[in-house]
Amino acid sequence: MSLAWTSKLALAAGLAFVPGWASAAAVNISYLTHWSPETVALLESAAKDYAKTNPDVSVTVRAVPFGDLLTTLRSQGGSAEGPTIGGIYDLWLPELVRDKLVAPAPDAVAAEVKSAWPAGVVSAASVGGAPYGIPNEIDVYALNYNKDLFKQAGIAAAPKTWDEFRAAAKKLTNKDAGQQGFGMINSWAAGVVHPFASLLVSNGGELVAGGKPALDSKQAGETFGLYESLIKDGSSDPSMATADANTTGPFLDNFVSGKTGMIIMANWWESALKTGMGAKFSNIATAPIPVGPSGDKPHSISYSWMTVVNAKAGAAEQKAAWDFLAWLNSPKSGKNGASAMSDILMSMGILPSRSSDIEAHKAKLGTEFLAGYVGVLADAKPFPVVAGGQEFSESLQQTLEALQYGQISAKDAEAKAQADAVSILDRAAK
Amino acid sequence: MSKGYRASAGIMLAPAVTLIGAFILVPMLLTVWLSFQDWSTQTPFSAARFIGLANFQDIFGSTSVGRDFKGALVNTAIYTALSVAIILPLSVLFGLLVHQRDVGGGTLLRTVLFSTYMVPMIAVALVWSKLYSPSEGPFNQMLGFIGIGPQPWLSSPRSALVSIVLLNVWQQVGYFTVLAIAGLTQIPGSLYEAATLDGASRAEQFRFITLPLLRRTLLFSAVIAIINAVQVFEPVALITQGGPVGSTNVLTYHIRRVGIERAQGGLGSAMAVMLMLTLIVVVCALFAFMNRKDDE
Repeated sequence: MSLAWTSKLALAAGLAFVPGWASAAAVNISYLTHWSPETVALLESAAKDYAKTNPDVSVTVRAVPFGDLLTTLRSQGGSAEGPTIGGIYDLWLPELVRDKLVAPAPDAVAAEVKSAWPAGVVSAASVGGAPYGIPNEIDVYALNYNKDLFKQAGIAAAPKTWDEFRAAAKKLTNKDAGQQGFGMINSWAAGVVHPFASLLVSNGGELVAGGKPALDSKQAGETFGLYESLIKDGSSDPSMATADANTTGPFLDNFVSGKTGMIIMANWWESALKTGMGAKFSNIATAPIPVGPSGDKPHSISYSWMTVVNAKAGAAEQKAAWDFLAWLNSPKSGKNGASAMSDILMSMGILPSRSSDIEAHKAKLGTEFLAGYVGVLADAKPFPVVAGGQEFSESLQQTLEALQYGQISAKDAEAKAQADAVSILDRAAK
Repeated sequence: MSKGYRASAGIMLAPAVTLIGAFILVPMLLTVWLSFQDWSTQTPFSAARFIGLANFQDIFGSTSVGRDFKGALVNTAIYTALSVAIILPLSVLFGLLVHQRDVGGGTLLRTVLFSTYMVPMIAVALVWSKLYSPSEGPFNQMLGFIGIGPQPWLSSPRSALVSIVLLNVWQQVGYFTVLAIAGLTQIPGSLYEAATLDGASRAEQFRFITLPLLRRTLLFSAVIAIINAVQVFEPVALITQGGPVGSTNVLTYHIRRVGIERAQGGLGSAMAVMLMLTLIVVVCALFAFMNRKDDE
C-alpha cells in the first residue's frame, strides 16, 4: 500500500472516531407535555412536517400526567439533559423564571409574540415585561348543563343569577336516583379553585387585588356563602366530586353519565366530554357564569398555557427549540392560515390564543359548545399570576374542600383563606 | 489487637464505610444542614442562607405550612398504626394456616398470598381506584347484594385514608405471611407434642408457645411494616393526590410537594428531618419494649 493510501485510510479512521463528526449539525430536542396519546400523536406528526425542511432537528415528545408535570419540570429541567421544551401553565412561570429554569425568548420570537397575541396573553407569558414563552392556549370557564335533565326538571333556560342557579340546582337534585344539581370538584387544585374564582369575579370580586389577597371582601364572603348553601341544600354532593391525577375521575364520570345537572368547567374538557358521552354530547349546552348579587354581568377567570425552553439546555438545542416553536405556532405550519399548534389545540376543543388562529378557526369556534366560551372571552379576568400562586391555589383548594364537606362554615372559610393567602404570598415575595 | 491486624481490618472495611458514608451519611447530614437554611431546590447549595430554627417554627406553626405538615404527620401516624395493626395479626393467621402440615394446598396458598406483593403498585392503584368507584365500583355492588348502601371510599375524608390502608394491607400481607412462616418453622415441633401430652388446647399452645417464640420475628416484621408504611407514596400520588381535604396527604407526598413542586428545599428538609427523628424514636421504643419483655 502506498504512503498516500495509508495516509487517506488513517485520516478516514481518525475522522470516524471524532465524536459527532458524521452528524455534526444534528440536534435532538425533547418536548414535555401532559397531553393524551391521541394529541401527542398530532404533535409528533407536526414535528415530522417540521423535519421535512429541517432534517437535522429531531423532536421527541414525552407525556406525563398533569399532576406530575410541574414536578417533572422542576426535577429534570435543571439540567441540560432535561426536556428542551415544556408546556406550562402560566401560574408556574414566575417561579420557574426566578429559579432560572426557563430561558427568555430571543428578540425575534419576543417581537413576534408581542405583535401576534393579545396583550393580556402576552403579559401572562412574560416576567418583568420580557416574554419567556410562546403562548398557545387560553381557557375560560362557563356553566355546562345537561339539557335532558333540565327538561325533566322543568327548567326552561340556563340560570342567569345566583338565585336562579341555586333554585335550578335544587330542582335538578334527585337523591333517590343518585343525581346532584351542581357538581363541584375536589382533589385537584385548579378544578376546585377556578370554578370558585369564576363565580367570585361574576360577583364583582377578585382573588388578588393590587398584589394582595382579596378573599375577605364582601363579594368573596357571598361566594363562600353560595358554596355553603349549595351543600346545605343537598344540591351538591362532595362524594361525587373527586378527581384523579389525570384530571378525570368520578366528577367527570357523574357528569357524562347524567348524574350531575350542572358543572362549571373550562372549554378544554370538550374532548373529555365527547369521549365519555359519544352521541349524547349533544345534550350538553354552555351558558355564561351566573351573576352574583354584587356582580354586574357574567365573567370568568381565564388562564393560559405556553411553551418554554429549558435555560440549561445547550445553545444549539435552545436555538433549535425556539425555531421549532416559532414554526409550530406560526400561520405557515397549519391549515388555512392557522398554526399547527392551534390545529392540535382545536382537536381538544381548546381555544387558541394567537389572534390569527382565532380568525382561522372562526367556523369551528362557532359550534354550540365552544361558542359559549368564545362569548365570555372578552369579559374574562386573568387568574392572578404571582409568585407563590401554586401554593396559594392549593391552600384555597383545602379550604374550599373543607367547606364542601361541611368541616368549616362559610365565614370561617373566608377568614382562613384570607389569612393563609396573605402568609403564602408574603413569604413568596421575600 | 496488633497494629498490622488493625491496619488490614481498616483497609478491608474502607470500601464499605466509604460507600455508606458517601451515599447514606452525607445525604442525611446534608438534609439536616439544609433544614436550618432558606434554600430553593433549584439553586446551588452555596445559595442557601442560614435561618436557624425558622423552618421548624414554620412547620409547627399555625399558618398553612404548619397546619399542612401537622396534618400530614397525623395522617402518616394513623396510616402506619392501622397498617401494622391489621397486617401483623393477619400475617400470623395466614402463616398458621399455611404452616399446617395436615391441611393440603399450603404451598398454593403461600404462592397466592405472596403474588400480591409482586404486582407493581401502578397496576394495583389503577385496579383499586376502579374497585372503589362510588357509582360503578365492584365493592359497592357487592355491598348492595347484602343490603348495605354505597360507601364513599376514596371520596370522603372520613374513609379515604382507611381505603388506602386496605389497599396496602392487601398488597403487603403476603410478604409478612412469608416472614411469619419462617418464624413458625423455627419453633421445635417437640414443644407442641409435649404440650399436647400435657393436655394443652390449641389456643393455649398458641398463647404460651407460638406467640412467645414468634416474638423476635414479629419485632422484625413490625419494624419493616412501620418503615414501609411511613414511606407510603405511590397510592396517594396515583389515586388521591392527598385529598379529599388533605385526608390522605401523607408526609412523603407532602415533602415532595413542598420540596420539589414548590422548590422550598429548606422547609422540605426540615419536614424530612422530623420524619426521620420520629421514625428513629418509634423504632427505638419498639426495641426497648421488646427487650424489657425479654428481660421479664
